Amino acid sequence: MSHMTNPLATPDQLYQRRSFSALPTDLQDAIFFSTQCLTQAAGVLLQLPQAVAAQANVVLARYWLVEPFMSHEFSAVSAASLYLVAKLGPTPRSPRDVSNVYAYLLSASSSFFRSSSTTPPPANNPSSYYLSDGAYQRSHSRILELEARILYALGFNTHVSLPHPLAITYLQALDFLGTRKERIAGRALEYLNTALLSPQMLYLTSQPNALAVAAIYNAAKDVGAKMPECEWWEVFDVDREELGFLVVGMRSVEGWARKMREDIPRMAECMLTRRIVENEMERRGLHTGNGHGVSSAYTLDPEAELARKMDEKIAQIEEND
Amino acid sequence: MSTMAKSRWADDTDDAALEAQLKKEKEERKRQKADKARKLEEERLAREAAAAQAAKAASQGEQGEGGQDDANNAPRAKRRRLSPDRGTPAAGPAHESANSNSDSKLLRFEGGGTFGRCRSVENYDKLNDIEEGAYGWVARAQEAATGKVVALKRLKIDTTDRSGLPVTGLREIQILKDCDHRNVVKLQEVVVGEDTSRIENIFLVLEFVEHDLKSILEDMPEPFLASEVKTLLLQLASGVAYLHDNYILHRDLKTSNLLLNNRGQLKIADFGMARYVGDPPPKLTQLVVTLWYRAPELLLGAARYAQAIDMWSIGCIFGELLTREPLLQGKNEVDELTKIFELCGIPTEDSWPSFRRLPNARALRLPKTTTTKSLIRAKFPLLTSAGASLLNGLLALDPDCRPTAKDMLEHEYFRQDPKPKQEAMFPTFPSKAGQERRRRKTTPNAPIRGQAVELGAVDFSGIFSGRDKEERGGGFSLRMV
Repeated sequence: MSHMTNPLATPDQLYQRRSFSALPTDLQDAIFFSTQCLTQAAGVLLQLPQAVAAQANVVLARYWLVEPFMSHEFSAVSAASLYLVAKLGPTPRSPRDVSNVYAYLLSASSSFFRSSSTTPPPANNPSSYYLSDGAYQRSHSRILELEARILYALGFNTHVSLPHPLAITYLQALDFLGTRKERIAGRALEYLNTALLSPQMLYLTSQPNALAVAAIYNAAKDVGAKMPECEWWEVFDVDREELGFLVVGMRSVEGWARKMREDIPRMAECMLTRRIVENEMERRGLHTGNGHGVSSAYTLDPEAELARKMDEKIAQIEEND
Repeated sequence: MSTMAKSRWADDTDDAALEAQLKKEKEERKRQKADKARKLEEERLAREAAAAQAAKAASQGEQGEGGQDDANNAPRAKRRRLSPDRGTPAAGPAHESANSNSDSKLLRFEGGGTFGRCRSVENYDKLNDIEEGAYGWVARAQEAATGKVVALKRLKIDTTDRSGLPVTGLREIQILKDCDHRNVVKLQEVVVGEDTSRIENIFLVLEFVEHDLKSILEDMPEPFLASEVKTLLLQLASGVAYLHDNYILHRDLKTSNLLLNNRGQLKIADFGMARYVGDPPPKLTQLVVTLWYRAPELLLGAARYAQAIDMWSIGCIFGELLTREPLLQGKNEVDELTKIFELCGIPTEDSWPSFRRLPNARALRLPKTTTTKSLIRAKFPLLTSAGASLLNGLLALDPDCRPTAKDMLEHEYFRQDPKPKQEAMFPTFPSKAGQERRRRKTTPNAPIRGQAVELGAVDFSGIFSGRDKEERGGGFSLRMV
């Protein structure tokens, strides 16, 4: 029984995702980040507890380790994972509500993906997010289809245990809560929520106890709280190496996101879609598969890759003849 | 040759050249690898030598030879850090203590496993249907690769339901996936139909268990022995204790959901109603548990209920094991309540203080004449007093008075004679699910009127042939082959 642990990604899964996807790494990361942000925003608008949105983030991240990014529209996968997780918990949301919220977030009226400092907030134009009956039916069917798809990809294992409650317990145990209680606890939770967006997929590579300890460590540093002078993380079964990795991983998300927004300006304007990603690939002169069949072309398995290399070699040799 | 359209796989000089090149490349790589390994080995040796030297120097330094600054510094620089603090600029304060207790052993959380796609149902060959009914379709099947016999349970999906896959089915899968106990049926995996473009056929692969308790009770000519009842109840209680320990309410315990294998092991099955609950429990639906096993607080409309509802069901099962008949067979909710009060007595302020506050209790008119005393002792005259006290406890009207599953395991009843029977000594039964049910000897039908059957030209001589090969003995003969 595993109330406090999660199934983790295997090294193979991580390796496959990075090495055999035709999408360059920075685009993969951008898709991951913006879709996770979208899920969080939808969670807020659907008035779901953060626990539900966070679990949906984790389910989505797991799904994308099994299935290629380009096989379905990113926002649709986000909607389906949020719908699924909410349904399994005590706060289900109807497909109607989910469809409406996503239609709004993806519309021109939503200020979600616009950086507030540079542009004025968009005018609220209800017709831009009105969902016609046909559009709603399509959205509804897509959510149900992807729900089954996600379950299939995850082997029907939807168990996600979050580090947030553990972090609070650990803070109590460390007596951190005595001083500046809101600040340090709030900061730790901020780190945990930010880590959900990290394309390093921290929730898929570390157990909740390690995430909780790293978030507390970072929060205590930020607030300037005095930490115990011994290797206190070992009390919570985290070793120094893992803690170090997570501390850096959690701290780096903010800077990384800022840089990515500069590198891919489209990110700051709207939600990434498959079309935008395809256009970006073309602009870079990268192979995007043959139009509509992109989904399968984006992930090559190692064997196909080897076969392709051999073909090239043979062609080369033949030319030399 | 170059003009000819040639096969890529044709064995010609091109291939030979390519092969040679590949071979060369491979050898080159091998050489590099070996080089690297050698270098690493050299480095390691050098490091060890340095360390040894440093250690020697250090020990010398300890012996009081001053002025060996660099030698003394060496071990500090070389000291082994099991987990380097790379990239933790802030990990300052604990540096010095890091070494002193670097041997400390961390307890590791048990791994949560991995995730990955479902396999296909084509990995299993169907043997026979077990049941097809309200619960959906269950079949006995065999895994092609291993020959292992399993039960395949198809998740019932209503395609017209626009809320997607049934949440109860998904809960059942998640709970069974999380459970690992000898008295809870094991879910091996979830498989899907061959066509994965649409996920419509979903099957639970469960361990195959030969019987369910209900059909055994229906078929057995004599009730279970007292010792057998104890074994079954102990196993049931230990399974339920495990579930409750892990915040799971089963919410549909009954004899048809309890499986029994041929080794006398009882397993709790069918988690379609089960769910995780917190402590204190949240508001939950009252529409749970099959009527005959439903606790009075559910019938009276309590929105908050807890583990005690499963204990009531265990009480009903206890009674059923003794008599082979369901204990409280109400026709509807009101009739069920009436039957409960007839058996357990009318609730009073003393026996169930909060009872009047339940939603359906306000409108309830109780007969004044019936006794408030429980009739359980009278109904089961053959039960020992310890057994009766356990049954009385389980069927207490006030949920707070029922024992927990853990309490039940410690009950006096299980320590008294007759002791619980060993599981291995359990009688076996013909398995309905394994298609052994029809073992009953079929007698030939009475002759049908009409033409007498003609034997025709049948040669009976074979019956007595080969007698000369028989060894002759005292009273009987053995045939030697």
